Amino acid sequence: MATKKAEILVIDDEEVIRSGCQQILEMNGYSVAVAENGRIGLDKIIQHEYDIILTDIMMPEMDGMELLDEISRLQKELVIIVITGYATLENAINAGRKGAYDYLPKPFNPDELLAKIERGLDYRAHLREVQLLRQDRDRNMLECSNERARTLTIINSMSEGVLAINRQGQIVLMNPMASKIMRLSEERAIGRTFDEILRNPDLKKSIVSSLQQVQADLRSTRLEFDTIYGRAIEASITPIIDENKECIGTVAVLIDVTEDKKIEKMKSDFVSYVAHELKAPLGAIEGYLNLILDGITTNNPQTEREMIEKSRDRAHGLIALINDLLDLSRTDRKKILKEMRAINVVHVVGEAIEFYRQRADAKSLHLTLNSTGQVPSIRANKDDLYRLFANLISNAIKYTPENGDVKVDIKRTNSHVRVDIIDTGIGISEEAQKHIFDEFYRAQNAVDKKITGTGLGLSIAKKIAEDHHGYIEVTSEEGAGSTFRVTLPIIQSE
Amino acid sequence: MAKRILLIDDDPDFIEINKTILQSGGYETDTASSSAEAMTKIGANDYDLVIIDLMMEELDSGFTLAYGIRDSARTRDWPILMLTSVQEKTGFSFDLATDQSWMKVDDFAAKPLRAAELLQRVERLLNRSN
Repeated sequence: MATKKAEILVIDDEEVIRSGCQQILEMNGYSVAVAENGRIGLDKIIQHEYDIILTDIMMPEMDGMELLDEISRLQKELVIIVITGYATLENAINAGRKGAYDYLPKPFNPDELLAKIERGLDYRAHLREVQLLRQDRDRNMLECSNERARTLTIINSMSEGVLAINRQGQIVLMNPMASKIMRLSEERAIGRTFDEILRNPDLKKSIVSSLQQVQADLRSTRLEFDTIYGRAIEASITPIIDENKECIGTVAVLIDVTEDKKIEKMKSDFVSYVAHELKAPLGAIEGYLNLILDGITTNNPQTEREMIEKSRDRAHGLIALINDLLDLSRTDRKKILKEMRAINVVHVVGEAIEFYRQRADAKSLHLTLNSTGQVPSIRANKDDLYRLFANLISNAIKYTPENGDVKVDIKRTNSHVRVDIIDTGIGISEEAQKHIFDEFYRAQNAVDKKITGTGLGLSIAKKIAEDHHGYIEVTSEEGAGSTFRVTLPIIQSE
Repeated sequence: MAKRILLIDDDPDFIEINKTILQSGGYETDTASSSAEAMTKIGANDYDLVIIDLMMEELDSGFTLAYGIRDSARTRDWPILMLTSVQEKTGFSFDLATDQSWMKVDDFAAKPLRAAELLQRVERLLNRSN
């Protein structure tokens, strides 16, 4: 057998015994090391793992008993055979108590020595096996508990609620999200049946039918239901199948979709609102065209001309609305697509003011720009920033009666650039101020005064300000004027 | 004497269009752009017919106005024509045969109406009330 040579350490102060043992053992194919006292022997034991230690009891420096004590402190499982000149039962028992496996009374012959060594090696092999088994078992248990802990941690940190139910209908697992969704504490739920704990009849029905699946083909059922706390839940219920293809329970995965539903509804409301807003001007244009084509206005060319003008105005409003909708979708798009650069706010506002100068002049408005001190650049998308101020300035001009003032003030605060757009216009009621930044909202006084608008400009302005980590505020008094304040953070350009 | 018709719509262009059509048919018209303005005019004047746009301000303001007209003894028998563009906004559609009991209107039609059809409907309602 190509097994490794067994290694034996012989510790004895008598040279004759050391070399005698060495000779006999080496002749029988063992590898032998020797030490002349306990201390040297111990050093060797610490440094190397021997299969068998053969040690004398009576030695100077460190005797066999002391050595046994030291070895037990090492917590090594070693096979120790004690050589003793006093073949007394007492010595043997004492050595045995201290962890020796066997004893060899002096004087001994080679056969006696070899028999003891062989027996010791058998024991050593057995110890090894036990040790390996134990290591194996320990490792398995560690893996087992790690695996369990890991799975639990994963389940517990899921953003979906997980509810496992056994074949008897008892809840056996409920993760924190499931407790949150069902508003049930884990302690209250575990071990109780789903029938006692759950309230929604559709959910219960799906669980029952999932548990009844025979020869299950792992079909999961999906359903949506509302909890009594007004949350919309999407549930997916799947039978748990064992190796024998039997259903041993069911697992329900619960997702709170309340917020998604809200967004869905907002989207569809928005679409129907937009459709209506697009349809109204087209209906008016169609109506005017019908009048003209049906000849109702033939006798009155002046009226006919007015109607064509009105149609054109509605078409114009429609284009403005569509432009605003496009702006809105542009600002909705991910910022990553936009080029952000160091922008001089004073320049951008100046450009917008020049663009609207003519419109202000036509109403004899006093349109001015003031900037106080050094205004640092901010990181922004230039087109968006222009659109933001253009919206606010054109609004100010639109809602300010003739001979009024529109003033733009730009100033640096500690960490922000602040732009105030101040007008002496019709103002905004307190009620309307709450909604002024909502999409399609139009203040009643603006509607009453027949000032046209899409109701989107300010919601676009707000989005742009927020996209640049800033914000927009309004202060206003009806009849006296409004101030829109845009505050944008100064971001050090990198 | 020319029949007087009150036109209620919050869209000035639709008022303009329908007014032109009605005037071309020889009717006298009065207009209101909100329910409140309409109630004031109804309180002060007599009309032979009222044309209401359902989509004014709030979804139910056209109905509320119709109920208001039916509530007063003086105005109870005035024919009401309701114009609506409500279908595409709410997916809600009306059937005169089944909904008239609660709608309290005599006729309704989708906007916009061609001149001939509007005049035809108006004439029918006025003849019926005579």
